Amino acid sequence: MKHKRKFMFEMIRGLAAIVIAIAVAFVLILLSSDSPGTALECLLIRPVFSGGSLNVKSIWAILGRMTPIIFTGLGVCVMFSANQFNLAGEGTTMLGGFIGGLIAIYIPMSAGLHPAVCILAGAVVGGLAMLIPAIIKVKLNASEMVCSLMLNYVIMYIILHFLNNTFADRSKGATQTYPFLETAKVTKLIPGTELTWGFLAALAATAVIAVFMFRTRWGYAIRMIGINESFSKYSGMKVGAVIIASQVIGGVLSGMGGAIEALGRYSTFLWKELPGYGWTGMTVAILAKNNPIMVPFAALFIAYLNRGCELMSIYAGVPSEMIDIIQAVIFLFFAAEQFMAKTRQKIVVKDAKEEMREKQLAAEGGNV
Amino acid sequence: MGEQEYVVQMKGITKVYPNGVAANQGVDFNVKRGEIHALMGENGAGKSTLMKMLFGLEQPTEGEIFINGKKETLSSPTVAISKGIGMVHQHFMLVPNLTVAENMVLGMEPKQKSLFLDYKKAVEITKEYAQKYNLQVDPDAKLRDIPVGMKQKVEILKALVRGAKILILDEPTAVLTTQETEELFKELVQLKEQGYTLIFISHKLNEIKQITDRMTIMRGGKSMGVYNTADVSKEEISRLMVGRDVILTVEKEKAVPEEVVLKVRDLEYTNEWNKKMLDKISFDVRKGEILGVAGVEGNGQRELVDMLFSLNTPDGGAVTVNGASVLHKSQRAVRDLGVSLIPEDRMTFGIAGTGTIEENLMSDRVASKRYNKGPLFDMKAMHEDSDQLIVDYKVLCKSRKQQVGMLSGGNIQKVVVAREFSCNPVLIIADQPTRGIDVGATEFIRKKLVELSRAGAAVLLVSADLNEVMELSDSLIIMCNGKIAAYFEDTSKLDDTVMGEYMLGLKQQDEEEVRRVQHEA
Repeated sequence: MKHKRKFMFEMIRGLAAIVIAIAVAFVLILLSSDSPGTALECLLIRPVFSGGSLNVKSIWAILGRMTPIIFTGLGVCVMFSANQFNLAGEGTTMLGGFIGGLIAIYIPMSAGLHPAVCILAGAVVGGLAMLIPAIIKVKLNASEMVCSLMLNYVIMYIILHFLNNTFADRSKGATQTYPFLETAKVTKLIPGTELTWGFLAALAATAVIAVFMFRTRWGYAIRMIGINESFSKYSGMKVGAVIIASQVIGGVLSGMGGAIEALGRYSTFLWKELPGYGWTGMTVAILAKNNPIMVPFAALFIAYLNRGCELMSIYAGVPSEMIDIIQAVIFLFFAAEQFMAKTRQKIVVKDAKEEMREKQLAAEGGNV
Repeated sequence: MGEQEYVVQMKGITKVYPNGVAANQGVDFNVKRGEIHALMGENGAGKSTLMKMLFGLEQPTEGEIFINGKKETLSSPTVAISKGIGMVHQHFMLVPNLTVAENMVLGMEPKQKSLFLDYKKAVEITKEYAQKYNLQVDPDAKLRDIPVGMKQKVEILKALVRGAKILILDEPTAVLTTQETEELFKELVQLKEQGYTLIFISHKLNEIKQITDRMTIMRGGKSMGVYNTADVSKEEISRLMVGRDVILTVEKEKAVPEEVVLKVRDLEYTNEWNKKMLDKISFDVRKGEILGVAGVEGNGQRELVDMLFSLNTPDGGAVTVNGASVLHKSQRAVRDLGVSLIPEDRMTFGIAGTGTIEENLMSDRVASKRYNKGPLFDMKAMHEDSDQLIVDYKVLCKSRKQQVGMLSGGNIQKVVVAREFSCNPVLIIADQPTRGIDVGATEFIRKKLVELSRAGAAVLLVSADLNEVMELSDSLIIMCNGKIAAYFEDTSKLDDTVMGEYMLGLKQQDEEEVRRVQHEA
């Protein structure tokens, strides 16, 4: 009974956050668009419905967009659970895409094996890169946050160096590599859409990470260390090793996501800046409250919002800066812990009183 | 009605915390002017919550507070202080690196040229108040260098300087020696004679009987009534507190010590402030016996326990358990030797607060075969064993899935004890195992400790609670200034005045006598 009420509250809180966020967003849209009605429709409805029927293409696009941010979101979940504020999801995603891409270009393999090897390689280098902030944290007690943040740029510029000087396809006007071999591509789940097999891989990864976090001793150690490091050490857990492992797992996941995204969406490697999935992954993890099971839902929310904003800028002429502001407003309301805290307190009080009454009744009943 | 007689009236106070815990339920609490009023109850009975509301640290969910007959909203400690309420916290709210005088005037500093601290003035103020209330302190001493008893005086003076007429004392004797407690009581009576009102929170029946005029007893968040101290017996108080008669002595058979389990030799440690905390400590604990470690806190007990569980490394000496050294080992390795520890600071080391009861019960054994099927947890085995431990150790909770941090202090400690006692330890180190927990849980934990020692565990009991070490220990050492000041082979023949003298460093046994605690070469 109590759980139900709490759940209802969380639902209502979520809905209220969305309604208020949309109201604020609408004010912003009014200020910036000539056709606010269309803009709002683009934001809310057109990602799934347009012209009275299901917008199938757009739905696949949304699902496709979820793929990389599920991976980075899961990675951040694992790291944040261990209380490690590692921000290198960004760099490791790019690195995974780059290394996976190179293998896709230069090492011929059979069609089934090729993407798997590329993705695996992306995962491995992602994990290896994360060793840097992790080991520095454990051995020298330097903040993983600063270190991983800087690592992003180190990775990015190393990749750019090699992209510009070693692997560039000079026949092209833009800086990009030679095309990926056909065998290496992560194939479409539904032909002609943005949705690849990577989406299923992301869902599978979600299940694996959820089981890992809640049903294995390593996941348990990660969570306990995140709650109380002293307690974990005292209980006999290998705190240093687990802290390193959590960040390596984070790197593996984002590296994997990077490779899948690179090989699924593009035909050559052409990222010339950090792709942004790492940052979005943090947003996803925060929305999911570090619970891997909630990651796909948080990713869906972000991808939907993204798509809506895109449509809004195409069809209603809302400038892209405004889009960023609107996204930020919605996110702000959603993530605010204290939002509706007073109502929550009232529910808690009501619950507690009921419980007292029940106890009293039980006690009196017992005496009779 | 004689309303003016009451300086504090709290009416129908209910407090529900955001986590859903109803700490107070319709509590009435009235204190007369110029009395020493005891607030008694087990841990989790809601005493601290009630006092936090009186001091403005928490806001009541329902109910009204009247100070001197006037309804007040105490929205913060600053407001409470301005109404003449002062609080002496159990854990002192003082800055260790500042001097006594600086601590006294913190936040209300006398200024020189309206910018710099007028230190001379601060010292003057300190001296003036110390004289006026006959609470002797050294204004120039750094706070971290003075004994606990003096720290407490500083806390009391601090409240008085801020104009407090009503003083709340939260378990003031918890950290004091017998002598220091006596001194404190004299001072409190003096304050009372000068017209101050004192609210005294405690679970110690003897103390309550000794100095209070009236008492309010709380149980389960409710008031069990107000009594004149002279009219109720200790047994009655105890019954009102826990709802049953508690036997405060633990019955135990005589110990039959066998071979040495824990062997400590010449342990030395100097801390980061260059203070020698352990000075050539040597002793043995044998299978089947409880060795008590008594002493005023801060005399090396904490450092000793840290060394024994390898949480810190000594400068010199040896620690072995059944012949194997524990120094430089990981906690896993120490636990694998069969050592378990009930840590003094249970919130930092004992539990993961937002974890479930089950997760906390399993923390030392998740890697064991019993709970793993291949790479995955055997959840069924975990649930079974957790439920069994909850039953065996009488942990009061809704289910194993409840957050451990939401339990009361006594139940949190039961979770810690359940884990530490159920791993077949050969050596149990119990560091302040019953500090700050209710009578029922205390009794339960003490009984278990005796039971385990009689079943063949070696037990090292470190406690600042004199009654506890004297009740439970078979033999006992007293630590003072990082040394073993005395060893008593038979605790039953001891009395607390003698112990107090050793604890305060007035006496010291000679080396021969102390060496008797080394049962092996």
